[in-house]
Amino acid sequence: MHDVVFYIALLWLVVLFCVCVVMVAKAKSGLVRVLSLDTLTLVLVALLIVYSVTTETSYYLDAALVLALISFIGVIAAARYHSERRLF
Amino acid sequence: MDAIFYDVMVIVSLSVMTLGIVGILRMPDIYTKLHGASKSVFLGIVLLSMSATVVATEAMIYRIILIALLVVMTTPISSHVIGAAAYRMQERMETPGAVDETHTLLPDSEEPDEPTWRL
Repeated sequence: MHDVVFYIALLWLVVLFCVCVVMVAKAKSGLVRVLSLDTLTLVLVALLIVYSVTTETSYYLDAALVLALISFIGVIAAARYHSERRLF
Repeated sequence: MDAIFYDVMVIVSLSVMTLGIVGILRMPDIYTKLHGASKSVFLGIVLLSMSATVVATEAMIYRIILIALLVVMTTPISSHVIGAAAYRMQERMETPGAVDETHTLLPDSEEPDEPTWRL
């Protein structure tokens, strides 16, 4: 991957990440916050994929995999807790 | 040639993800915000990982495919859970022209009953 595109992509993803953080902080209802957190995790996964493919280190991909898994569990638990006021 | 293809695909998928986040910011209620999160951002990530397999080494290709498969399997489920939780919490539909066939969630409908089903 060319260096210019790599830096543009990193900068772009960091901007998207900051927008997601602002969305999480300023969300009006709890479910919008959960949705924004899910989006934030997906942006972080994309950042890790771009970084690890360009620098050819595969360790970041494991982190991305675990992050995607934990995000899934977290979203389901948070949405369920939000609507039922209990987990099980 | 592969590097140029990957460059173009990274820019395209980042544009798709940006459109999804703009959708989440601009849409009026949770039911329409789910469109941006569950289609655009998700498909942007899938496009990014599919194009990353062109230039990645062999040890990374399988992990990237695993990440893509995981995201493809989990994003519809989590979007469905968020939508069902919003429906159960009786979140009102703010979108102009919204259609709710149960006539309980529109802004001008009367106060809804307690839901009888569980998530």
